[in-house]
Amino acid sequence: MSEFLDVFRRPDFIPLLVTHIELSVVALLLGVLIALPVALAVNRSPTLSAIAINIGNIGRAVPSLALLALAFPLLGFGFATSLVALTALAIPPILINASTGLRQVSPQVMDAAKGMGLSGAQILGRIQVPIAAPIIFAGIRTSAVQVVASATLATFVGGGALGQLIVLGFQRNQPAIQIAGALAVAVLAIITELLFGFLERAFTPKGLRVARKRRGK
Amino acid sequence: MIEFRGVSKTYPGSARPVVKDLSFEVLDGEICVLVGPSGCGKTTSMRMINRLIEPSSGEILIDGEPNTAMSGTKLRRKIGYAIQQIGLFPHRSIADNIATVPQLLDWDKARIKGRVDELLELVGLDPGVYRDRYPAELSGGQQQRVGVARALAADPPIMLMDEPFGAVDPINRSRLQDEFLRIQEEIRKTIVFVTHDIDEAIKMGDRIAILKEGGVLAQYDTPEEILTNPTSDFVTSFVGADRILKRLSLTRVSEMELEPANGSGEGLPTLSDRLTVRDALSALMGAGVGRGVVEGEGGRRLLTMEAIEGLTRGARA
Amino acid sequence: MPSPGEPAKAGDTLGLLQDLQPKLLDWGWIGENFGDEILPALIGHVYLSFVSVGIALVISLPTGVLVSRYRKAYPPVTFFTGILFSIPSLALFAFLVTVPGIGIGPTAVIIALVAYSLLVLIRNVVAGMDSVPEETKDAARGMGLTARQILFGVELPLALPVIVAGVRIATVTIIGIATIGAYIRGGGLGELIFLGISRNFPTRVIVGAVLATLLAVIADLLLLALERYLRPWARTRRA
Repeated sequence: MSEFLDVFRRPDFIPLLVTHIELSVVALLLGVLIALPVALAVNRSPTLSAIAINIGNIGRAVPSLALLALAFPLLGFGFATSLVALTALAIPPILINASTGLRQVSPQVMDAAKGMGLSGAQILGRIQVPIAAPIIFAGIRTSAVQVVASATLATFVGGGALGQLIVLGFQRNQPAIQIAGALAVAVLAIITELLFGFLERAFTPKGLRVARKRRGK
Repeated sequence: MIEFRGVSKTYPGSARPVVKDLSFEVLDGEICVLVGPSGCGKTTSMRMINRLIEPSSGEILIDGEPNTAMSGTKLRRKIGYAIQQIGLFPHRSIADNIATVPQLLDWDKARIKGRVDELLELVGLDPGVYRDRYPAELSGGQQQRVGVARALAADPPIMLMDEPFGAVDPINRSRLQDEFLRIQEEIRKTIVFVTHDIDEAIKMGDRIAILKEGGVLAQYDTPEEILTNPTSDFVTSFVGADRILKRLSLTRVSEMELEPANGSGEGLPTLSDRLTVRDALSALMGAGVGRGVVEGEGGRRLLTMEAIEGLTRGARA
Repeated sequence: MPSPGEPAKAGDTLGLLQDLQPKLLDWGWIGENFGDEILPALIGHVYLSFVSVGIALVISLPTGVLVSRYRKAYPPVTFFTGILFSIPSLALFAFLVTVPGIGIGPTAVIIALVAYSLLVLIRNVVAGMDSVPEETKDAARGMGLTARQILFGVELPLALPVIVAGVRIATVTIIGIATIGAYIRGGGLGELIFLGISRNFPTRVIVGAVLATLLAVIADLLLLALERYLRPWARTRRA
């Protein structure tokens, strides 16, 4: 047991944890900054939206290890390689959900908004985005959980992060290190899942929550 | 006043126009109902007024000015808009829904709040109860009321209403229609009202525009005229074989010229003069007698089958 | 390590490509090792994925049907499977191999892949059962069908497209995660990737990654086609 706890006192534990969080946060942010504007830009055109959603669907099918592995021959070992791959991984779920969410706003609501004289930008900002917010956040949540999980794999391409502990445990045949690393990663992922679940609820406008509860009855 | 001048609309990629050379005027303070079978272009015609759809040719004047004189969004903020599916914004409270256009027009908060409460009362919803609720918490009929209140929010002189009572059951629809007519007595808006239901058109319209397939205006007249003198076979069949009875429902017994009953009313059924002539006729037939006594402000008067037939004489030609 | 080709002249694209090609993609190696290394890895990968989805379905179908009936069990089931789903695969593998009786190898990988499929599959079984209109079930009852006949004759067939949609998501997810299983000797295409990285031989990495991606995309499209095929009513409505 003490052997197990010692893992968390290792001098490299905190730096690895910090790298893991850094990689995940930056990749997720970049993913949001790329995917959201694209989704907003294509939202007026059904064709472009469909293209964005299809690209997202194919992107989602790309295995995360494959992404990291493909980035490696091109960019070499290191943090940047992992970051690029993780960002690419973060984009599809956000792109899919944001594009679908914005287009899911009922045509009657869109018609009423236009008929009352809201401009295109006002319809997008005041009507579509708030109504699509829960769906967009669900996409960000999926991305976040995936990025945190896949950051574990960054160790294979020299990106560091907590996966390094797991690999170290395997290499030295020290299950304590392996399990402690796995536990740290799992806890981080579950915290991410719960945190974003909370954010998703917080960003759901009250009227929509009421509507959902009613429908549930 | 809204004036259609030779307005046509053909959608791109379609050979046949949906609206063809439409010309008519909607007078200030009147309800003009656009009615016709599906595919007659009634909704398209209405949506061209606030430029949700642009005509292919012709123009629409509002108070003498072409509606293209200002931007579409600015124009729409001056025209109330209520639709069948209501389209309430699900993420906004009832108050915020109603306040949509006043907010766009930068009214101050106190004025908006006052207006919201005033409108909720006007449509018969207690502001204290409903102000902070969300659309999902309201029944269909209540949502329709909010839709109408929202369209009225910035006190626009013109209202466009596309089957605004279409999504509720017949009993509630009839109640909403009555309430809306009462509200219109107060507000005197210029209203363009779209429906596919001829009975609703007859009840709501000061004037009715009957459109037929291909967006051609078949007849534009008062309900009485349309029921009494339909100008074509299309209109005759569209208003229905019971048009004489419908005509009778437009008149109340109190409006008829009847002889005083004097002593001759013994043993006859007694009717209120608030009834429509159609309902009175039904009552007489139900009683199995050709005559009845009407009671009301004009005293006791005698209603006969002959008097009713006199009302419809013009319509039989 | 393949040797780099002749240095490219400026502006000579062909020369540049010839220069890069041997570094990134050694076609000769692919040809030589297709039968011995690449194909077995691909087959191993398909096997891992199929077996895992199959086992997961056997668990999820009855669980989903039960949970759709006993609604109170649904939140805890999704919470539990949701937690499983959010555990990073490398971490789950690291736990599993230390469990006595499992150890390193395909068994640990299959257990993990099954665990990852449960959330999506159960959720879609429930959603599929929910999508059956109440009127339809009522009509079936009214015609005298037994509960079992309604389940197998009405509810499951109608829920099938939604269930297949879940199978599709689960399969794509699993094909992706199975690559990581190679790290604990599960076999499959991940073996090429890990071996390529450790020997610094990009061709192996690319072959493994591209094949895994293609496999996932093809499985996605095939199951999407199946999903559409199973929804003939949606097709006619669109026509």
